[in-house]
Amino acid sequence: MSDDAKLWSKTISDVNPEILLNLEKPHPSFYAAFALAVLCLLFGIVLVGLHTTYGLGLWNFAPPVYWEVDITNFVFWVGIGHAGTLISAILFLFRAKWRNTVNRSAEAMTIFAVICAASFPLIHMGRMWVGAYWALPLPNTNNLWINFRSPLVWDVFAISTYFTTSLLFWYMGLVPDLASIRDRMTGFKRLVYGFMSFGWRGTAKQWWHYEAGYGFLAALATPLVLSVHSVVSWDFAMSLQPGWHTVIFPPYFVAGAILSGCAMVYSLLVPVRYMFKLEKFILPEHLDACLRLTLLTSTIVSYAYAIEFFVAWYSGNPYEWALFAKRAVGPYCFYFWVMTFCNCIFPMAFWSKKIRSSIPVSLVICILINVGMWFERYNIIVSSLVEDFVPARWGHVQPGLWEIGITVGSFGLFFTFYLIFCKFFPIVSLSEIKLIMPKPLSSKGKGGHGGHGGHSGQPAKGGAHHV
Amino acid sequence: MSSNANPDRGIIGIFGYLDTFCRTIEQVRERTDFAGHELFSPTSYHEIEHACGFGASPVRFFTLIGALTGTCVGFGLPLLCDWDWPLIVGGKTSGVYSLPAYVVLGFECTILLGVLATVLGMLLLGRIPNPRRRVLDPRTTDDKFAIFLPGATMAGAQAQFLKQCGAEEVRST
Repeated sequence: MSDDAKLWSKTISDVNPEILLNLEKPHPSFYAAFALAVLCLLFGIVLVGLHTTYGLGLWNFAPPVYWEVDITNFVFWVGIGHAGTLISAILFLFRAKWRNTVNRSAEAMTIFAVICAASFPLIHMGRMWVGAYWALPLPNTNNLWINFRSPLVWDVFAISTYFTTSLLFWYMGLVPDLASIRDRMTGFKRLVYGFMSFGWRGTAKQWWHYEAGYGFLAALATPLVLSVHSVVSWDFAMSLQPGWHTVIFPPYFVAGAILSGCAMVYSLLVPVRYMFKLEKFILPEHLDACLRLTLLTSTIVSYAYAIEFFVAWYSGNPYEWALFAKRAVGPYCFYFWVMTFCNCIFPMAFWSKKIRSSIPVSLVICILINVGMWFERYNIIVSSLVEDFVPARWGHVQPGLWEIGITVGSFGLFFTFYLIFCKFFPIVSLSEIKLIMPKPLSSKGKGGHGGHGGHSGQPAKGGAHHV
Repeated sequence: MSSNANPDRGIIGIFGYLDTFCRTIEQVRERTDFAGHELFSPTSYHEIEHACGFGASPVRFFTLIGALTGTCVGFGLPLLCDWDWPLIVGGKTSGVYSLPAYVVLGFECTILLGVLATVLGMLLLGRIPNPRRRVLDPRTTDDKFAIFLPGATMAGAQAQFLKQCGAEEVRST
């Protein structure tokens, strides 16, 4: 019996009927979660409406800090999205089998996280309809073009490319699964899912081109995911601000993004797996692989934190060192130590297989990592901004109720979208999970050398030799 | 079969096993009376691609052309804007002297147009959307494989052949 057969208690015939149970009546906890998410979203909408009407003065910031929680939220949400693309594209190219069970929900997470991220620069601009104009490469009233050498313009290009790529990658992955849903539906629902699946029929030629195209999308998304958070980091690193002007920022931001994203993938998978009874498909081995990736990225992030401090001291730049010392023992030390404990200390528990096997403990650690990653962005942004080049302007800011409210609203937006996705779309990729399950072979094919089941020697989409 | 005939009329053989299906494909490819046949699969098993003898998909040309166009757009946009109205920032000249700063734009546009062209290629080559064709058997998007032969009838030799190959069910559509 192959390793695959030992791992799975289900066959490919069980995939569609059991995974698509989410389209039927969900667990009561789904409604409770959805109601809470919508409530948070409505709260956020009211706050954004009020501050759009009355202006940015309602926010708690004061010079020299003009963007505090909104840019923190922007970086946080873009970072969350990164694990989705990592799992869907990079792990696809590495042929990591476990990604086939989690990629769909991780990709959905990416898209909704990028929507949340993109909303913050617009909200921050106050009159967002005017802000949207300035974000695009359009000439101003004096016919001057925008400054293409600005990292903020690069960011607009990076985020819009990232969103478009993630959306298309996710949707093209969904097309065969939407066709599977269509073929189980009748009446109006069949028409809607048929329209959304573009009339996919699953012919060998369609799969041939689809497979090739999917591979190219993955190959294009792979450098993109590494570039996007690098570009986000240049929003800071291209300035001369102490604490920001460091060359380590791009890899440091990318590792941090993947850490927060993996923790978020786990935090979302565990409740969804329970709500929609997916325990037989999202196996403990898959959750374990996600935690191991979280542990790996946590060690990279810890190394980056250490190197940042070392370089601040070793560079001999007194301003740089003063700022870093203040981060650890100054007025923002609370943020610094929460960040350090949540991102560097707690994840080390994942070295223990016993802790990785305990879903409740791992879930708590993953939520703490997300808290830590938010604090990391706040720590980097505000501690550098609050003490700029004019000492007379130095001050201290803390997030006020408006900032916290809009942050809560962004979580409401994210979870509302995510739960709608969970209710109407397959949470696990139907076509891709079938590839890592035992192949449907006849008794003749199962015996001997596996007949056609093994003659290619090459894995198909998502196929691999190891979990 | 006339060109106006319903393309979905014919016979379909349903298979439950991947190895049986692949062996049938190899035999079908050698027969002359299976011209125009279509194969259906619930997912993209590589074995089917091999049995069909498919090589590299032409989607790659879409990707290449899209990505190269994107590179040109990414570098061309800021250069054209500079040419239209040079923007001197910090006393530094613009245009080709600022090319390193435009690498980011060139890179992002390469990816963006490469992705858009790839998706276009997937749709065009896969002939979707195609509202004229219908689903012949809903089980082919679930757990079954199928061979469809347009224009054939159950009385023909092809239906008998599919049964001999191990089809679980052969019927007209």
